Amino acid sequence: MDSKPAQQLPSPPAKMPRRTYNIAMVSDFFFPQPGGVESHIYQLATKLVDRGHKVIIITHAYEDRKGIRWLTNGIKVFHVPFAVIYRSATFPTVFSFFPLFRNIILRERIEIVHGHASLSSLCQEAILHARTMGLRTVFTDHSLVGFADAASILTNKLLKFTLSDVDHVICVSHTCKENTVLRAALDPLMVSVIPNALVSANFKPLPRPEPGSLPFTQHPLPAHPLGPSDTLTIVVVSRLFYNKGTDLLTAAIPRILENHPNTRFVIAGSGPKAIDLEQMIEQNVLQDKVEMLGSIRHEKVRDVMVRGHIYLHPSLTEAFGTVIVEAASCGLYVVCTAVGGIPEVLPSHMTVFAKPEENDLVAATGRAIGALRANKVRTEKFHEQVKTMYSWTNVAKRTERVYRGIFGDISDDEFYGYDVGNEAHWSATRGRNFALIDRLKRYYGCGVWAGKLFCLCVVIDYLIFVLCEWIWPRKQIDFARDWPRKPPASDDDE
Amino acid sequence: MSSLTSQSLKVIPIAARKAERTQQPNRWYPDGQASRVCAMTSNSDHGLGLGLGLGLELELDLDAPHRGLTRSATLPLEIHSPRVGRSHLAPEDAFNTASPPRRKSTFDPSAVNDSRRMRSKLGSRSRSRRRRRNWKKLLWVNQSYPDNYTDQATFLENLQRNPRLQPYEFWPLVADSTVILQQTCSVTIFVVCFVGIFQERVSPVAVVGWGSFGTLVGWLLWDWWVGQEDEDEVLQRRHSNRSRAAREQPRKDRPHSAILGTNPSAGTSVTNLAAAERAYPQLAMRQSHSVSATSLQSGASQASTAARNSSDSAEELHQRPSSPHRGGRMNLRLGTIKSAVLIYFTLLGLSPILKSLTRSTSSDSIWAMSFWLLAINIFFYDYSGGVGVKFPASLSTNAALMASTVLASRLPSTGQVFSLTLFSIEVFGLFPVFRRYARHQSWKYHVTISTLLVIGAGGGVGLILGGEKDGVWPWKSGLLGVLVAVVIAIVAMGGCSWWLIGLQKYKNAINGPWDQARPIIISRRFWDDE
Repeated sequence: MDSKPAQQLPSPPAKMPRRTYNIAMVSDFFFPQPGGVESHIYQLATKLVDRGHKVIIITHAYEDRKGIRWLTNGIKVFHVPFAVIYRSATFPTVFSFFPLFRNIILRERIEIVHGHASLSSLCQEAILHARTMGLRTVFTDHSLVGFADAASILTNKLLKFTLSDVDHVICVSHTCKENTVLRAALDPLMVSVIPNALVSANFKPLPRPEPGSLPFTQHPLPAHPLGPSDTLTIVVVSRLFYNKGTDLLTAAIPRILENHPNTRFVIAGSGPKAIDLEQMIEQNVLQDKVEMLGSIRHEKVRDVMVRGHIYLHPSLTEAFGTVIVEAASCGLYVVCTAVGGIPEVLPSHMTVFAKPEENDLVAATGRAIGALRANKVRTEKFHEQVKTMYSWTNVAKRTERVYRGIFGDISDDEFYGYDVGNEAHWSATRGRNFALIDRLKRYYGCGVWAGKLFCLCVVIDYLIFVLCEWIWPRKQIDFARDWPRKPPASDDDE
Repeated sequence: MSSLTSQSLKVIPIAARKAERTQQPNRWYPDGQASRVCAMTSNSDHGLGLGLGLGLELELDLDAPHRGLTRSATLPLEIHSPRVGRSHLAPEDAFNTASPPRRKSTFDPSAVNDSRRMRSKLGSRSRSRRRRRNWKKLLWVNQSYPDNYTDQATFLENLQRNPRLQPYEFWPLVADSTVILQQTCSVTIFVVCFVGIFQERVSPVAVVGWGSFGTLVGWLLWDWWVGQEDEDEVLQRRHSNRSRAAREQPRKDRPHSAILGTNPSAGTSVTNLAAAERAYPQLAMRQSHSVSATSLQSGASQASTAARNSSDSAEELHQRPSSPHRGGRMNLRLGTIKSAVLIYFTLLGLSPILKSLTRSTSSDSIWAMSFWLLAINIFFYDYSGGVGVKFPASLSTNAALMASTVLASRLPSTGQVFSLTLFSIEVFGLFPVFRRYARHQSWKYHVTISTLLVIGAGGGVGLILGGEKDGVWPWKSGLLGVLVAVVIAIVAMGGCSWWLIGLQKYKNAINGPWDQARPIIISRRFWDDE
C-alpha cells in the first residue's frame, strides 16, 4: 500500500540513492540442469546482486538438490518439491504452489516476481499468485512459438492467461517480441527487448602466436594469415535435432567438402539426427575430413570453437542464438541461416547469412571460405568487438530499468515514452492496478470460454489467498535474514 | 472508456495501417492507433485456431457479443470516478480486514494527471532531442531508444496472413468428398454382410464368392490399366529424357535427385487435392519422388529379371507392377496369384483359431469394439493418397481387419469365419487400391463406383432392417433404403461442402519470421520426416 502513493510522485532527483528491490526469479529451468535459460537466470541474478538488489531464485527440486541452497554472490535458491513431468517442467497444478510460494515471498520480503521461459508452469503459476498477492511481475520469454499446430495453440492460450495480468514482459530479440505480442495479445510498449549476453572472458580466442616465437607449428593455428593450402576448419556446435537444421548440414557437408578440398569439419553435439550425419560420412567416405565429437559440456565449447575458422549454424528457428555470439567472440567467422532473431544478433562483417536452403548454405559457406582465404576478414578483432556489444552487466542495467519502470520509480512518460493525451487509455493498457475487478476484466478478454475459465481460476486463487492469510497470518511469518547487500550501483558505471 | 469504444475498433489491412503510421511518424501510439493494435493482437488470439482451419475472420465484427472485451476495452472505470474504486477488492483486503474493503482510493487521479501532464511536456522535448538517430532492428547496436520502444514502421512488417490460402470451390469439393463417401459405403456394406451372415439370411459362401469374383474382375481391370499406363510412361520418359538430360548432367553422382517420371495424378484430375499438392510442393515432390523411385526400381528389375518378386509375396498384392516388359508382367501376375493362394490357405488354417480367439469376450464388448475400430478405419483412412502409395494408412486397414477378427468370433462355424475374414481383406485391403486406380484412371469409373456403392449400402441396410418374412426378401424396404441413402449422400456431400466453404472465411493463419523455416534440400534422401 505504501508504495502506491510513492509511485505517483515525480521521479526522485538523481542525487538520492537509488532504490533497490527484492527480486524473486522463478523458473522450472535452473542449475544443476545445463541450458541457455538456466545460465541466463544465473548471470542476470549475479549482476543484479552486484547492483545492490536482493535476488532469490525459485525452482523445482532436482534429484540431488532439495531445499535451500546458496550460490556465489549470495543468491538464495529455493528448490521446491514438485513433480517433474516432461523435460524438467513441473506438472501444472494451478493452485497447489500458492501456500509455499506465499511463505517464501513473505519471508524474503519480495517485491518483484520475475518469471522465465514460457514452457515453465512454475513460472506461470508464480506470476498469477504474485499478482493476487499484489506484487509487481515481469516475464522473460526465451523462445519462439508458431501458431499452427495444436501444441502451440495450447501453449499460447496458457501464455495469454498468464500474461493477461503482468506488469512487463522482456523478450530476447525483436522477432521474439513480435511473436510474444501476437501470442499473448500484449501492448507492444509493455514488452522490452533485452538480449542475452555472454561472459566474454570464457570465450576468448587462442592467443596469437608471436611471429618469432614459433619456429614451426605442429598444427596450423587458427590465426591469420591463412595460406591457400592451409587447412580450414569449420566448426558446428549444436544439438542434432531437426529444428537445428541438421538435415541441411547433412546435405551441405559433402558438397562443401567437394568444392573446397582443404576443409575439415568438427561437429560437436548429439541428438537423433546424429545417425544421419554418420551415414552421410560413411556413404561419402569422409571419415578423415569430418570429425564428430559427440555431446560436450558447455565449458568445453570454447575449446572446440577455437579449433576452427568458421562457425556454421544451420538452425531453422532461433529466438536469439547465443551460440553464434560465442563463436564470434572466439574469433570465428559465422555462417548462419537468416531465421528468427539471428539477423539481429551480429553485425554483417562477422556473419554470412544464408537462406535455409541447401544450395544457399553451400554458396554462403563458399563465400565465407573465400573471404577468409583472401584474408579479408579481421577475425582477430571480433573478440573485443563482441565484448563491447554484449555483457551481462548491461543486461542487468536494462532489466533494472524495467523494474524501476513498473515500480514507478522512473516516470511513466520516460518509461513508456508515451505522450500522455488520454488517461483512460493509458490506464487500460499499462496501469496495472491490483483491484480484483480490473484483473478479472483483463482475464475475461482472453476468449469466449477461456475468459470465463480464467476468471474462475483468478477468483479461486484470491480465495486461497484469503484462506492462507487466515490460517497462516503474515504477522506470524518471520523475515529471513538477508545476505549483506552491496552498495547500489550508480547509473554511470558501465 | 466511452470515447474508446465509440471509435471504430477495426482491424484494417496491414498496408493501410502502415500508410497511416507513416503519416504520424513521431507519435508512438496516438490513441486510435493503439486501440487498433490492441484489437489486432487480441484478434490474433482467435486466430490460434487457424491450424485447424478455424479461426476468426480478419475484420472484427463489432456487433459480436464478446467484442468489447479486448484489452483496450477492459480499462478500469474508476479513473474518472474515484468513488467507484472504494468498493473494489484488492490484495491488501485479504489481510487488512479492519476497514472493508478499502480505506481509500489508491490514486488521486487529478494529481496524477497534472503531474503527468507536466512531465509529458518536459519529456517530449527531451525525447525529441535524444531521438535523432534512426531506430534499427538490431540487438548489437547500442541504441538511444528505450528497450520497449516500438518502431511504427518496422514492427510486425513481416507478418503474413493466410499466405497459402486456397479458396475452395463448390463442385470440386463435392467431387473430392466422394472419396469419403466410398469408404463409408464400403464399411456399411461390410457390416451389412456380417449381419446377413450372423442372422443366417445370407450364405457366407455366396458373400465370399461374389466378393472374390468382384476382386478377380477388379484385378484384371487394374492389371490392364497398369499395363496401359506403363506403356504411356515409357513413351513419356523417352520424350522427357531428352529435355532433362541437360539438367541432370552436373548431378550425376546423385541418382535420387533425378525425377524421371512426372507425377501422374497432378495432371489428370483438376481437383482441390491436386491443388493442395501444388500448394504444398514438398508433398508433391515426395510423391513424385516415390514414383521416380519405383521407376528407378523398374529400371533395375529390367536388368536383373524380377527375381525379387518371388520373395515378398504378400505385399505384392498392393504393389503396382513396375516393369513394362511382357515377361516381367507375367512374372508379377504369377506372383500375385501365388500370394493370393497363400493368403487363402493361411486364412483357412487360421479360421478355427480366429473363431475362438475372442469368444470369451461378451457380445456387448465386441459390438462396441468393432464400432470403434470401424470408426477408426473411416477417420484414419488415407483419402488423399495417390496411386503410388505403397501401404496407405496402415492404422486404418489394421483397425478394419481387427474389427473383422473380433466380429468373426461371434459366428458359429469355421466356414463363416473364413468367409468373413477373407471378405474383409477384399473390402479393406484390396478394394481401396482398386478404387484409387479407378479414380486416377477416369472420372467416369469413379462416379460409377460411388453410385453403385451408395445403392449397395442403402439397399443392404434397407434389406437388413426390413426383416425377413417367410423366405421372401423385403424388396420394398430395400428400395426405400436405396432412396434414403441417395438422398442422404447428396445432402451430406453438398451440405458439408457448403459448410466448409462457409467456414473458410474464418481461416486466419499467421506466419512470420518466428516460424520454423522449411529447409529446401535437393537430395531428398536425408529428409524423411517432417
